[in-house]
Amino acid sequence: MTKQVFSKSALFLRIVFLVSVFLILVIGGFTYKHISNLSNSTKLVVSTYKVNVELEQVISYLKDAENGHRNYILTRDTTHLEPYLSAREKVNESFAELKEIASHSEDQNENLKTLSKYIDNLFKNFTQTNAFVENKETLTEEFKSNFFEEKIIMDSIRQKIDEMISLENQQLEKHHKQYESNLQFTPLFLYLLLLFTLVLIIISYNRISNDFKNIKLFNNQLSIFHEATIQLENIGKHGNWVWHVDTNSFTFSDNLYRVLGEKPGAFQATLETFMSFVHPDDKDKLAADVEKMMEEKHLPFTYYRIIQKDGTIRHIKGYGKLLVSDEGERRVIGNITDISDEIENYLELEERNLELERNNEELSEFNYVASHDLQEPLRKIQTFISRLEEKESDKFSSSGIQYLDRINAAATRMRLLIDDLLQFSRTNKPDKEFVLTDLNELLENAKQDVAETITDKEATIFSDVLPSVFVIPFQMRQLFLNLLSNSLKYSKKDVRPIIKITYSIINSIEDDVLVKGQQLNYHKITISDNGIGFDQQYASQIFELFNRLHNKQDYSGTGVGLSICKKIVENHQGFIVAEGELQVGATVVIYLPV
Amino acid sequence: MPNDYIHIILADDDEDDRLFFTDAFDELNMSTKVNTFNDGVELMDYLLCEEAILPQVLFLDLNMPKKNGIECLNEIKSNSKMADIAIAIYSTSASEEDIEETFVLGANIYIKKPSSFKQLKKVLSEVVSMNWQYHTNGLNKDNFLMRL
Repeated sequence: MTKQVFSKSALFLRIVFLVSVFLILVIGGFTYKHISNLSNSTKLVVSTYKVNVELEQVISYLKDAENGHRNYILTRDTTHLEPYLSAREKVNESFAELKEIASHSEDQNENLKTLSKYIDNLFKNFTQTNAFVENKETLTEEFKSNFFEEKIIMDSIRQKIDEMISLENQQLEKHHKQYESNLQFTPLFLYLLLLFTLVLIIISYNRISNDFKNIKLFNNQLSIFHEATIQLENIGKHGNWVWHVDTNSFTFSDNLYRVLGEKPGAFQATLETFMSFVHPDDKDKLAADVEKMMEEKHLPFTYYRIIQKDGTIRHIKGYGKLLVSDEGERRVIGNITDISDEIENYLELEERNLELERNNEELSEFNYVASHDLQEPLRKIQTFISRLEEKESDKFSSSGIQYLDRINAAATRMRLLIDDLLQFSRTNKPDKEFVLTDLNELLENAKQDVAETITDKEATIFSDVLPSVFVIPFQMRQLFLNLLSNSLKYSKKDVRPIIKITYSIINSIEDDVLVKGQQLNYHKITISDNGIGFDQQYASQIFELFNRLHNKQDYSGTGVGLSICKKIVENHQGFIVAEGELQVGATVVIYLPV
Repeated sequence: MPNDYIHIILADDDEDDRLFFTDAFDELNMSTKVNTFNDGVELMDYLLCEEAILPQVLFLDLNMPKKNGIECLNEIKSNSKMADIAIAIYSTSASEEDIEETFVLGANIYIKKPSSFKQLKKVLSEVVSMNWQYHTNGLNKDNFLMRL
């Protein structure tokens, strides 16, 4: 994630840098243009000024020429013709200058040509007038008209020059205006651009310092992670190695050396030195795995043993995976883990499991012995007694018959005990199937089993409608049977037994008994009677095996019945509790998970 | 009926049980002929020989040396000649597994050996006079085990 953030940041910085460079170039370009504009304007002003000066000069030369010419006409002194002659030269010089200066404007060029034509005309006129003066024909009409024409030409020259000066001024004005509008806009624009560039640079600086902070943080985390990894390696008996594919060199972590039973850096990190630790029996397999790794740049989970210097054999689990860095460098990063303890534990566990299995087998053998071999002689004893009682009773004395009765009672009791024990051990078997069963049906079945006693004792059983639950049917039937038998057995001698079976569904927080329960909802089935009850202090004792609260003579029983009930309920992940009050009655509550 | 008596066979390795069994029939005064065999091998040898008179009811103990009751039951049920013999399992134990297995293999009734002679007589007379056709038609796991 951090990597992504940094690459994003780098892209951002690159863009900002390029934009800034571009902006600076733009600012430079604008400034250059601005300055060159400024110098152009200056040049223009200078040239306008020069044009004006030259033009003024031209007119002053022409005036000089006109003056000289007029003086000549008046005095006929040829010395006055001197300025006239030199004017002609100077005007030509000025013209050359003007042509150069005014070349930038088509209009002025045109004007200049017209002006030159006028000046030529003027001088032509001057020459003609001079000829008239030389010939002393100054009073002729032709001279007059010539002289007058001279004045007209002079006026139009003046006008032209004024026109040119004003045009030049106009152009200067126009240019000045344009320049002014440029000047108004450009510096602001440049300033804003500069500000913007500055803002960009500030943002970049911020970003860079932020990134730097992040990198520092990231580095910090990395160093913590690094330290944690080292600790983990120590605790977990891991070691890691890196195979730099491109240079075909290896790096081993410190703990890898320790896993191999060596000091960190005790030998050069190469494949060969590592292989020298591998158990000879596993060498070929590991070599094949490594060879495959060299080809596929991936090492799947592989298991082998190593032998440390002192001869200790350790079990190792290895794994490796190719990692390509951003710069394209290929590295296979791998791990080895010392799993000797795990394997030891596993072996120990397996051994214990086997032992348990053996025990279980023995137990079931014992069950068989109890059910068959123990019952067989007992049954025979009973049968022989019954034969004796039937056929030979007249040969016994009264005490002999009494003894026979006692033997029979003892044998019957033994049989009962064996049957109950068998029943108890059968409820221990875990491999029973849970079937969705209607509990009403099971209760009805149980009632039928004790139907005779119900009739004899004139008992009444009230029962709610019970739910259908996933149970082991024959066990649940046994549970009902045992509880009903108990209620009937421990009834008061002169009171008709009344057994009430109620049902409700409850939440485990509603009942203190259920704090240990993991389920949220439970079926609660309560079986209460009006029998002799029991002292509440024995409430938990009565579920213990062979625990009896009454004398055998008064109430027959083996003390197994309720233990079986408890076992059955536990098999169903439920709870069973009993409440009693002497001479009032007993209540048994069963909780079954929904 | 080929004979006017009911032919009954018991296969049981226990001498006392064989004694109780024959004594009970002696006292019952039914017109029965009882043959007993000491183990499964003896029983099967008899049943498989040519001149054997097949019984109407065969009482089969489960726990016998050499060949146990389950094996005998299996062989008898897979032999069409003996398909009509009513088979009563006659065993000390009444474990769920045994009841289940013999029921599936096609035995007709399961008797847990009673512990008094009087009851034994009662059970045997009931079984021998049972209408097998009727019983077998309505046979299910619940009435397979004979209730005493």
